[in-house]
Amino acid sequence: MNYNDLTRRHFESPANAGMLTGVGIRRGAAGSRAQGTWVQFDVQVAHHRPDRAHEPPTVSAVRFLAFGCPHVIAVADRVSQQAVGKVATAALPEDLKSLRELFAVPVEKLGRLLIVEDAWIAAVSAPS
Amino acid sequence: MSTPAYLDYAATTPVDPRVAALMAECLTQDGVFGNPGSVSHDYGDAAGARVEAARGQVAAAVGAAAADVIWTSGATEANNLALFGTAHHTLAPRGHIVTARTEHKAVLDPCRELERRGWRVTYLKPGRTGILDPAQVAQALAADTVLVSVMHVNNEIGTIQDIAAIARICESHGTARLHVDAAQSMGKCALNFDGMGIDLMSLSAHKAYGPKGVGALVIAHRRGVRLQAMQYGGGQERNLRSGTLATHQVVGMGAAFALAAAAGHDESRRIAQLRDRLWAGLEALGGVLRNGDPAHSVSHLLNVSFADVEGESLLAAVRPYIAVSTGSACTSADREPSYVLRALGRDERLAESSLRFSLGRFSTDADIDVALSAVTRAVQRLRRVAGCATAPAA
Repeated sequence: MNYNDLTRRHFESPANAGMLTGVGIRRGAAGSRAQGTWVQFDVQVAHHRPDRAHEPPTVSAVRFLAFGCPHVIAVADRVSQQAVGKVATAALPEDLKSLRELFAVPVEKLGRLLIVEDAWIAAVSAPS
Repeated sequence: MSTPAYLDYAATTPVDPRVAALMAECLTQDGVFGNPGSVSHDYGDAAGARVEAARGQVAAAVGAAAADVIWTSGATEANNLALFGTAHHTLAPRGHIVTARTEHKAVLDPCRELERRGWRVTYLKPGRTGILDPAQVAQALAADTVLVSVMHVNNEIGTIQDIAAIARICESHGTARLHVDAAQSMGKCALNFDGMGIDLMSLSAHKAYGPKGVGALVIAHRRGVRLQAMQYGGGQERNLRSGTLATHQVVGMGAAFALAAAAGHDESRRIAQLRDRLWAGLEALGGVLRNGDPAHSVSHLLNVSFADVEGESLLAAVRPYIAVSTGSACTSADREPSYVLRALGRDERLAESSLRFSLGRFSTDADIDVALSAVTRAVQRLRRVAGCATAPAA
């Protein structure tokens, strides 16, 4: 299988592979290793300054673990980078259609991108 | 980046330059370009003499009579001719065939087609190391069994079957002929058609430093083995395989087999040392399983499953550095886990995360260094990204 340059870059040198430690970390995972694809996100949400308590919380750091094909690892890494600084919501920082086009993910692998999305939703929805 | 180290000799081998030089002599006007079937002039006679010399070389290399060697386009055609030719030659409209789940698709797919036509096929399940117990064959034989088809060397895991023992069982049965797919055997282990008591044997040139597009079916005519032809027109090859012979191809196969026979144990010993060094380095990673039976295996092949690593990512990570296979080359396009490893009991994940390293005549210590470096980096990185920490072997 061929991978485009963006996929290869994220796959070969994922910037945010790993886990976060400390308080206030939200963790969620989806998929299973036995089924071939598993993704976990650790999301740190920024604490508010007292004078900005009315604003929604934003993502200050993300780490991920992924057992899967190069596309899964690359997309999870991209999500972990793009989410920082954005409002912590269940929506991916870029939608699946955009991610699929960016990484030239074949149609038969769409289910794997859904696992990345499910892991993200599980993480941001988890109690900190 | 430099060219990846080639470690896929079980898929195909480069043509030995000595073989290529002899083939080139049979192509152009100043060479032996005649039709070997033309008996009315010297050009044909010269080509015919080259073809017969090559037939003798192949026969000598595999312990057969020259008259028993029938040229084909490769081992796949030879397997098809053995299976369909045997089935169609029997007077009964259908019968029974015994084979193994770990055979090459060039045997399994013809068997499935024969099943579609009403034949019964028993697919034996080898033990966890890939070795068939000859007693399994004995138990599977029925009154209407006409053929047992068992490969000599498995193309994915390198295990060597006890062909002589299986041949004795077929012999005592009476009507069951033994067909052996020996595409991976030449130059890798002892192969003796007559001595092992084989009735039909498929050979391939391109697995032994010969050209693609040529192979042979060896037929024990003296033992009364008869086949129905699969193609007609010209009556070449004892009416079993019509068509003008490709002189340069068969000359290449003859030369390649002669060289392989001459190289013998020295080449195997050198390759075994490289393979053992590769295995020692991989084993140190931990979470690494060797597939097959090291005690009954050819020297050039090493099949390894890596725990806690996803198969597609593993191949993608090592591909810039080494050329290896996941399962057989014929099935790697459809990305299915190796059916051979699944038949041996490996789970789907381990079957997917297996790499087949196959070494050859031109493999070097430097190739092994590259492979060890690439696989070590890939496995450690992918395990780290997956959050899996498999401890190295103590």
